[in-house]
Amino acid sequence: MNIGVFVCHCGSNIAGTVDTVAVAKAALAYPEVVFATDTMYACSEPGQAGIIEAVQKYELDGVVVASCTPRMHEATFRRTVERAGLNRYMFEMANIREHVSWIGKDKDANTNKAAELVHIAVEKLRRNTELTAGEFTINKRVMVIGGGVAGIQAALDCADGGLEVVLVEREPSIGGKMSKLDKTFPTVDCSSCILGPRMVDIAQNPNITLYTLSEVESVDGFVGNFDVKVRRKAAYVDWTLCTGCGECAAKCPSKKTPDRFNEFIGKTTAINIPFPQAIPKKASINAAACLMLTKGKCGACVKACPAGAIQFKQEDEIVTEQVGAVIVATGYDLFDFTQYGEYGGGRYPDVITSMQYERLLSASGPTEGHIKRPSDGKEPKDIVFIQCVGSRDKSIGRPYCSGFCCMYTAKQTILTKDHLPESQSYVFYMDIRSPGKGYDEFIRRAMEEYGARYIRGRVSAIQPKNGRYLIKGVNTLMGDQVEIEADLVVLAVGAEAAKGAPQLAEKLRISYDTYGFYMEGHPKLKPVETNTAGIYLAGSCQGPKDIPSSVAQGGAAASKVLGLFSKDKLASDPQVSSVSLQRCIGCAKCQSVCPFGAIEMTQFRGMTKASVIATVCQGCGNCTSACPQGAIQLSHFTDNQILAEVHALCPY
Amino acid sequence: MGSQLEDLKTAIRQALPDLDVVIAWAAGPDGLAHTPLFITSESDVDLVQWDPRCSQNLAGYLPGLRGKKVGIVAKGCDARSITELLQEKLIDREQLTVFGLHCQGALDPEKIAAMADCGRYVRSAEINGGELKIVSSKGACAISLENGLLAKCFRCTGADAQPCDQFIGEHGAPPVLKDAPATTLDRLEAMSMEERFQFWEEQMGQCIRCYACRSACPLCVCQDHCAAQSREPHWVDQTDHPREKLMFQAMHALHTAGRCTECGECERACPVGLPIMTMKQALNRQIKALFDYEAGLDSEKTPPLFQFRENEEHIKERKW
Amino acid sequence: MSVLEGKELRIIGFLCNWCSYGGADTAGVGRFTQPTDLRIIKLPCTGRINPLFVVRAFLNGADGVLVSGCHPRDCHYTAGNFYARRRLEVLRSLLPVMGIEPARFEYTWVSASEGQRWRTVVQKFTEQIHGLGPIPAFKSGTCLEACLGTAI
Repeated sequence: MNIGVFVCHCGSNIAGTVDTVAVAKAALAYPEVVFATDTMYACSEPGQAGIIEAVQKYELDGVVVASCTPRMHEATFRRTVERAGLNRYMFEMANIREHVSWIGKDKDANTNKAAELVHIAVEKLRRNTELTAGEFTINKRVMVIGGGVAGIQAALDCADGGLEVVLVEREPSIGGKMSKLDKTFPTVDCSSCILGPRMVDIAQNPNITLYTLSEVESVDGFVGNFDVKVRRKAAYVDWTLCTGCGECAAKCPSKKTPDRFNEFIGKTTAINIPFPQAIPKKASINAAACLMLTKGKCGACVKACPAGAIQFKQEDEIVTEQVGAVIVATGYDLFDFTQYGEYGGGRYPDVITSMQYERLLSASGPTEGHIKRPSDGKEPKDIVFIQCVGSRDKSIGRPYCSGFCCMYTAKQTILTKDHLPESQSYVFYMDIRSPGKGYDEFIRRAMEEYGARYIRGRVSAIQPKNGRYLIKGVNTLMGDQVEIEADLVVLAVGAEAAKGAPQLAEKLRISYDTYGFYMEGHPKLKPVETNTAGIYLAGSCQGPKDIPSSVAQGGAAASKVLGLFSKDKLASDPQVSSVSLQRCIGCAKCQSVCPFGAIEMTQFRGMTKASVIATVCQGCGNCTSACPQGAIQLSHFTDNQILAEVHALCPY
Repeated sequence: MGSQLEDLKTAIRQALPDLDVVIAWAAGPDGLAHTPLFITSESDVDLVQWDPRCSQNLAGYLPGLRGKKVGIVAKGCDARSITELLQEKLIDREQLTVFGLHCQGALDPEKIAAMADCGRYVRSAEINGGELKIVSSKGACAISLENGLLAKCFRCTGADAQPCDQFIGEHGAPPVLKDAPATTLDRLEAMSMEERFQFWEEQMGQCIRCYACRSACPLCVCQDHCAAQSREPHWVDQTDHPREKLMFQAMHALHTAGRCTECGECERACPVGLPIMTMKQALNRQIKALFDYEAGLDSEKTPPLFQFRENEEHIKERKW
Repeated sequence: MSVLEGKELRIIGFLCNWCSYGGADTAGVGRFTQPTDLRIIKLPCTGRINPLFVVRAFLNGADGVLVSGCHPRDCHYTAGNFYARRRLEVLRSLLPVMGIEPARFEYTWVSASEGQRWRTVVQKFTEQIHGLGPIPAFKSGTCLEACLGTAI
């Protein structure tokens, strides 16, 4: 084998603390190295041309580039050696920038270390084999998990692109948080007027299968071929029969059922359709509140239902869907403010969350759009808004900014003035964050045209006082204490990861941050991808986002899926395990530790042998570590390759 | 014991027509140790022996006889190896007939030869009561059986064969033995790290690399494909250096970690008497402490290194 | 070439590709200065680490071996580090029996974002190994010498 070594200066990034000329010289002494040189920027156009030229001139069979981390340029150089006529896997990198030049101060030690890293790369490369990517067919169906605005956009874009879509939603209706909003900033247009038609599109699109009141149970498989089990929870109503007429709810005697859709600010019935625009417009029974299901007697809805759709004996059903890609759009949940003692910890009925206030503002909400205090139903006059409740607060483990609260608070002050022209809004804020088209102008309007009084500072206490509330805070701009009496306090609660987000991530094998938000593939360059091939992110599950950003991400994720599915076959990574039939004794230890079920036991001339399903194998090498006789080897991380690296570093 | 032997022979005779082969013990060449006997016809049955000289664990022959209907005579410790082989699905339970015995301890021929100072040149030996009477070129002597037992018998955890299809004789507890000899592990623990390292260098310096330990080990199921002698993968090189021999012993220990039943065949087979079960004992001790697991007791269980728990109760990770 | 005589000791790091290798990259990008002794061998996953690699490294004269992978539950391959944890814990008990100071071996978890943590681990581990000094050598000399001895 003829090996060429290219030691990159990376300008002064490497050459500043590593003698690259000396490293190249040392490399010439390593086995099978026939050519070694230093190069200014290996990844640049001339740098790559130099590699190609050397491959041809010195008839190289393999190339080592000593430069930055392979995470940066491994793919670049693989293409380079391929252009030079070599197999793309006859290439190794030595990371002498991140692991050497940037962390070590001693130039001699760095140079020596860099040379050793080149040595192990050479030893590994000597044992590389040419690999060719296999191909496998893909199932061009996509699952979208979460039917909020991001999921709706993703599902519609995929369906419009001709894909079959399975949309899974945990709640009885799609629509997500946006369906609860009254108006949207900065245009103050009606939320359900813009979302409603899109929801209807979902219901009417023949390419979309909708499972609401459903959750993902398990995910198996890999990009192109996922098997997803979905638990369709019992609605106790046969939705194939239900017409959504609402007769059942009208007759239901359990009229004091907590109303989830209305953020528990009103009451509903045990059987209900969550809101008038619900998709699908089907009734479902809240099992905890239903008299029949809890006490065994009632059945008012059975009598009322003209379609005979009520089924108390209905059980959860598991359906399996085969899809080639998954878009996760599970959104966010709202921070539970009751852990803030200074805001009453949930004891004061008129201290409510911004989303509850949104329901009070909504014409389809429990007060039909009249702003009334939950305690006594009176119209408030003075309303205090407190921002950053559960955002930017390290003490409660929420150091991040939720991003949209400044904007919706401004919107709510504007809507308040529209509903109650005599009212006065006060906003306690930390900083105003309004970077968006027309956003800062909108905040200005709230202040200047609608007279909302903005006070920069935190609130230290809310105390009841004569049926009203005394809000004590500080004005940090004026440097004095502030006390305001108000009828209603609205807390701009921040966003946190949706409940169950980490558990879903485990099922999908995607990573999530310490707050439960899903990790994108790269913070700049892969904003909707995950590190698991075939799984994409849209909307607030990745981090708090406003509506336009969520919609944009929904569309972006859909375009990624359409791009993925534009090919009929996908290339499989050939760096997978394979079994030496001669050495395998069929003990199945490899099979027992494979996390992917990629190993099956087969019969070969009457003997049991392990066999790797190459498309399922992800290349972790757990099997190789488990096999005592070394019969199963992970390509390019074989025992001999790693041993050769150890021997190179520790030559006795 | 005589009637137990007769009962065993009767049982084998009765089962033989349905079996391809029965593995038992027959008298060995020197009278200090019995050797394996492969019974295929009824006339062989008369050769069967059963007394404390049946030291060899016969379970190691089973994987090689897979596909045949095999009967095997087993002591308590031998049966634990059978359990392991069943667990690893290297033998089939329905093809196997185990003639189980209660063991009162098995003799260590090397130890006896040393005690009698007669080498292995024994003219005759016979067991009489609690003694082994030996006649050699150096004259006659009698050795108490209890003094001549294998080291493992002092740590016996179960003398009755289990699994077992036919139990011959009475069930019973392990023999109660006093004066257990100190193990190499105990001795090592009293040494400094440097002394331990030197100890192994000296011990391994004597290794002749015959791989008898491996051939005798009932769990070295790779046999001809042992990674110690292959080039793909090339774990151990052929240099005559203690390093490479120690590497092989570490390999044997780690490959049998969580599987080794401490049957002692590796040490019994070693022609130069190296204490090579020591590392395996240390690993077993750790595995018991970490995972509360002992090999050879339940063929339905998964060995601890082939499974995991997300929260490992007994693993204390270092905080940096 | 080998480690710098008198300045460095031989420390081998086995790192998983997805978390700890990335963590070491992150430390590099952050220019977090570290001791230069450590040489990193990249593996796809800690599940790829056969404990015998560690034994081999020590018998070959490594003064310290560090294994680092994804935090439990963060394994790119879902479970590789869980298997590794068991294997390496068992290995931990073998080393002292062989006469290898157990503190010469450590395993830990460092994520791709934990550059600072990686620096801490490298610093502490390197100090620890320097505290122990070079690993005892075989008195029988090197394999090469043994070979030559037989040849003569």
